[in-house]
Amino acid sequence: MVANAVDSTRAPLAIDLVDVTKMYAGRVHALQGVSMRVPRGEIFGLLGPNGAGKSTLVKIMTTIVRATTASGTILGAPVGNRPTLARVGYLPEHHRFPQYLTGRQCVEFFGAMSLMRRTDRKRRASEMLEVVGMAAWGDRRVGTYSKGMQQRTGLAAALVNDPELVILDEPTDGVDPVGRHEIRDVLLRMREEGRTVFLNSHLLGEVELICDRVAIMLKGRVERQGCLAELTQDSRRWRVSIEGAMPSWVAGIGATGEDRGRAHVEFKADDVDELQRLIDRLRAENARIVGVTEQRESLEELFMRLVRDVDGRTSAVGASNVNASMRIPR
Amino acid sequence: MNQARNSARVSDQLHSLYRTHLTLSDYAVQTWGLFVSAYRELNARKLFWVALALNALVIGAVAAVGIDETGISILGYDLDIPGVTSKMFPDGQLYKTIISALGVGFWLSWLSTILALLSTASMFPDLATGGVDTMLSKPIGRTRLFLTKFATGLLFTALQVAVFAVLAYLVLGIRGGVWEVGIFVVVPLMVVFFSYLFALQAVVGMVTKSPIASVIVTLLFWIFIFLVHAGEQFTLLGSTASRLEIEGIEAKAASLQTDEARSGLATPLESAKRANENWQLAHGIFYSAKTVLPKTTETAGLVTRALAVAANIGSESDGEGGGGEDENTRRQRGFFRSQFVSERKLRAAMNEEMSSRPVWWVVGTSFGFECVVLAAGIWYFRRRDF
Repeated sequence: MVANAVDSTRAPLAIDLVDVTKMYAGRVHALQGVSMRVPRGEIFGLLGPNGAGKSTLVKIMTTIVRATTASGTILGAPVGNRPTLARVGYLPEHHRFPQYLTGRQCVEFFGAMSLMRRTDRKRRASEMLEVVGMAAWGDRRVGTYSKGMQQRTGLAAALVNDPELVILDEPTDGVDPVGRHEIRDVLLRMREEGRTVFLNSHLLGEVELICDRVAIMLKGRVERQGCLAELTQDSRRWRVSIEGAMPSWVAGIGATGEDRGRAHVEFKADDVDELQRLIDRLRAENARIVGVTEQRESLEELFMRLVRDVDGRTSAVGASNVNASMRIPR
Repeated sequence: MNQARNSARVSDQLHSLYRTHLTLSDYAVQTWGLFVSAYRELNARKLFWVALALNALVIGAVAAVGIDETGISILGYDLDIPGVTSKMFPDGQLYKTIISALGVGFWLSWLSTILALLSTASMFPDLATGGVDTMLSKPIGRTRLFLTKFATGLLFTALQVAVFAVLAYLVLGIRGGVWEVGIFVVVPLMVVFFSYLFALQAVVGMVTKSPIASVIVTLLFWIFIFLVHAGEQFTLLGSTASRLEIEGIEAKAASLQTDEARSGLATPLESAKRANENWQLAHGIFYSAKTVLPKTTETAGLVTRALAVAANIGSESDGEGGGGEDENTRRQRGFFRSQFVSERKLRAAMNEEMSSRPVWWVVGTSFGFECVVLAAGIWYFRRRDF
């Protein structure tokens, strides 16, 4: 675990944000000192409920929104460095491409905006349309496309400049299950090619399936970030199930229970030696062990727990305020 | 750590799009891309093709007119208008006059400009809403993006007027027998004319994100500057007429032999002087306002003047001298006639005053206004979060 942390610190970072803040007019504090480190060649998932500040953060990285304060680097250059954007691919949420262009023209146009020369962008546009499964529809106008087709074309446009860093905001929004699977494959292929993928998504299952690391943002702050294993480390439990009743001494080790004639005990263990000792003692008492499984929180469970924790904190603060100053007089 | 960063930097530099700064050829690639996209947008708009068809129709109407030694005809049907023969309009002057008055003075200066404003109305609202995310995430500065978008908006007028100029050139050559290259001056002048209005439309469209609002505000502003122009012309006439009145009275007084006769002119002279002071004050106000506003009428007048010079239309012999004068001005001139100010004298004085206004004043101060409006738009665009 520690070794992993050291590795990630030493790895060249695609994104290294330090203390990014954004205050909108009306004193809305959208980001409150966000720091984030995304190693190269990984798929990084950014999670958070609506209004957490995810899109603002993504837009600051792509210079669409100006940060109130920001330091750090994107692909080794300071945040906001314009020439670096030529090596970044971006698919915004709810994007609207020019309806009068064909899919191919649209992809080529964004290639030109990313400084690609004519022959290169024509070649890459054809390749990318092929990759996202839009080759057969490439010469039809974007205005005639379904939502899913527009999303695929957007993905092709984000990839046309052979980007080192791809930032995708809800890439599977409006795409059918088959399309989602295909897009997932594209993202995995990008990782194999050494690209960094920064994925902003609401779909926790999807993120859990493909992301190497995640960050969870709540109310303008990063609550947790790291590998999924790191994040769920605290929740790791062992569950040992036996046939029949559990010996009484087991209750001192962890929580016990019964389910369809089988008893089980669940306990937290940082190393497997403790587990071995339990198994040895149970075997010594002729208990018939039918299962030993490692239990962890899913990403969704972790996410929901954090949301509840933060909401609890907020409402506790809110409640104390009410108690102090807003109690309705009798 | 440093080693890792260095290796990252080396791998960054291997990418074909690695840049520490953008070069001129990078700018060219993006600018060309934006212009091609703008052309495709125009191509997809019905209004663009409608305007082109109307262009052809206007020039077709000119070409439908025939004139020879025997008389004038339209689409081959002879019109019984005595005296109107090719002797009266030598060297294709009939075609030049129609193209100048109908083609430039009416079609290009009014209808085509309104069509261009309508056709480009959604350009900046679209930029401020749907497409801006993807555009700003590319290595293009906001100022350059705004100005390039603005330049692509002028493409509509440039293409329309270019087609008009080519057709007019062919009609002049084939029907009038005069191959007049000077007609192509209409292209840059009309683009400049349109750019004054489009600057305002672009900024209003960017701020309000509404194509309709941007068109309405621009048309209202166009009417406003036209009214300021009309007011300036009217007060200039008043000021010039009262000055001529004073000169006329003084000349008359000098010609009289007796003091008694001269004293009879003292009251009208005093009255004319007071009127002149008032007219000058009023004209000064209008002139100041006009100086800081775009001068659409005068710029269109420059087109007509340039066309007239190039095509030898509107010489002193036709009695109007300068081409930009309309019925309203003629009526106003009649209003200021008196026993000391003849219409001919007033017309000559007005022409002298108008022709003394240099081209740089007409175009330069209008450009000044345009630059201020665009600077405000750029300031807004650069500051905004999308």
